[in-house]
Amino acid sequence: MNSAAPSYLLPLLQLSDSALPTGAFSHSLGLETSLHRGQVHDEATFADWLTQFIRIQLVHSDGMAIRLALEADTEAGLNRVDRELHAAALPREVREAGVKMGARMLDIALAVAPSAGLGRYADAVARGECAGHPSLAFAVAGKSLGVPLGELLTTYLFSTATSLTQNAIRGIPLGQSAGQRVLRAAHGEVRDAVVLIQVLERGDFGVTAPGLEIAQMQHERQRARMFMS
Amino acid sequence: MTAAVTSAGGGPAFPRSLPAQSAAGRLGLLGASSGNTGSATVGRLAEPSPWAGTLSLSIDRRGDKSIAVRQHHAGALRILRPHYLDGSGQVCYVVINPGGAYLGGDRYLIEVDVAPGADLLLTTQSATKVYRTPGSRAEQHTHVRLGAGARLELLPDPLIAYREASYRQVTTVDMDPSASFVMAEVLTPGWSPDGKLFRYDEIRLRNEVSVDARLRVLDNLLIRPRTGSPVDGMSFMDRHTHLGSLLVMDARVDGVLVDELHTVLAPMDPQGQLGITLLDGPGLALRALSRSTEPLNEILAAAVDLLRRRWHGQENLNLRKY
Repeated sequence: MNSAAPSYLLPLLQLSDSALPTGAFSHSLGLETSLHRGQVHDEATFADWLTQFIRIQLVHSDGMAIRLALEADTEAGLNRVDRELHAAALPREVREAGVKMGARMLDIALAVAPSAGLGRYADAVARGECAGHPSLAFAVAGKSLGVPLGELLTTYLFSTATSLTQNAIRGIPLGQSAGQRVLRAAHGEVRDAVVLIQVLERGDFGVTAPGLEIAQMQHERQRARMFMS
Repeated sequence: MTAAVTSAGGGPAFPRSLPAQSAAGRLGLLGASSGNTGSATVGRLAEPSPWAGTLSLSIDRRGDKSIAVRQHHAGALRILRPHYLDGSGQVCYVVINPGGAYLGGDRYLIEVDVAPGADLLLTTQSATKVYRTPGSRAEQHTHVRLGAGARLELLPDPLIAYREASYRQVTTVDMDPSASFVMAEVLTPGWSPDGKLFRYDEIRLRNEVSVDARLRVLDNLLIRPRTGSPVDGMSFMDRHTHLGSLLVMDARVDGVLVDELHTVLAPMDPQGQLGITLLDGPGLALRALSRSTEPLNEILAAAVDLLRRRWHGQENLNLRKY
């Protein structure tokens, strides 16, 4: 019996590949500050950091942005999500990481899964009306491909967790097997995050936590750095 | 930090269970946190008032001094007569809450308009205390409009949240690109009868700043300590209990000023829990964590004083409480 995969599966796999050249390998998003302080130094402490990062930033910023982008039924609605996401990133390096990786993700998505919606978002970024963010380029591409929200969120969150784990493997350093154990253990956290993102209220968009923000701000002043954020 | 936090057992790195109550379910009553800055004006001053207290203040220049040209208050908010703390013409108003504390179901509305070129320092008479709010929460909504060249320093006393308190504070600022906005605040947990800190239920602090009608800053914090929650986690409060925040939106802010502030303030932060960053706008944000109020007050006062001296030639602020 034939069982065809949905037509969106291959583009989705390509766009959620953690090795996608968006520059994610050079952004620790605050992890490097915790490494520098000695708070993250092994498999267990990195797993703890990753859990908190998923619960704070991936749920309330990237994840909610994806959901709100799918819910937006006008271009103005999408632009508002972009504006709020950018404004909610107070630490300068996190804001700049979003813009840089957003531009790369847009280019790649336009090549992998071109659509009118993606073209309009790219134009809004080029005009300066939108700042651009990888989660939104990913969401707009996924929306035109017809990817269900749960799959779109799961792949984006897990891809980001994988990129950060690869950065931890280089930065701590950690063995490849340890990295895979952390990622396997993160399955439950990602599953919970996907459910949570779908029940949060609009006012939860962009919520963050002081400890993470301070680490992300302090990174600007760290002397020896492997990462840009 | 959010509902996800409440699911944590504290120990295991990756708890599998979902929270019993979603944030949406728990907090869906009022929807007052909507990102729509216009939403909170719906029902304003309607009868009967949905507000436990309202305060409306319009500041303008008269000669070389600023003064309220319109003020209105109702319910449990009052304002003291104006003061001039120095010769700059900046007017200082002190907000008082005769009830002494915010209780469950209380909603407060503060509206402040500063006309072009006018200059206001708005503070409080004493700490804002939020007591138990069983099954409910207290809210404060502040809407600020700043005209061309207008200035507002919003420097309230610390916010103290007691056991089983839930509190939501939303501050929206619509400002001209040539206006200046400085806001500093400290959040502290009240002591429980059992002598433990961190027993409030939830604090949400949301600040939205739009410059020339474009949203520039969405500062959205949620702290929800619970028994067994990972609020101590390195990315949440990192075993600290007190939070200090400073938000500055002013065209004169640049990277050099941010560096200078860091140089001045970093030695005052023995615990290494100070972050300061440049915002689009332009502006800057500062966050600091501590285990007591004093170091945070000192850091914020030093930052505010540096800006007062640099931009306005004013002396260090000495807020004698009237």
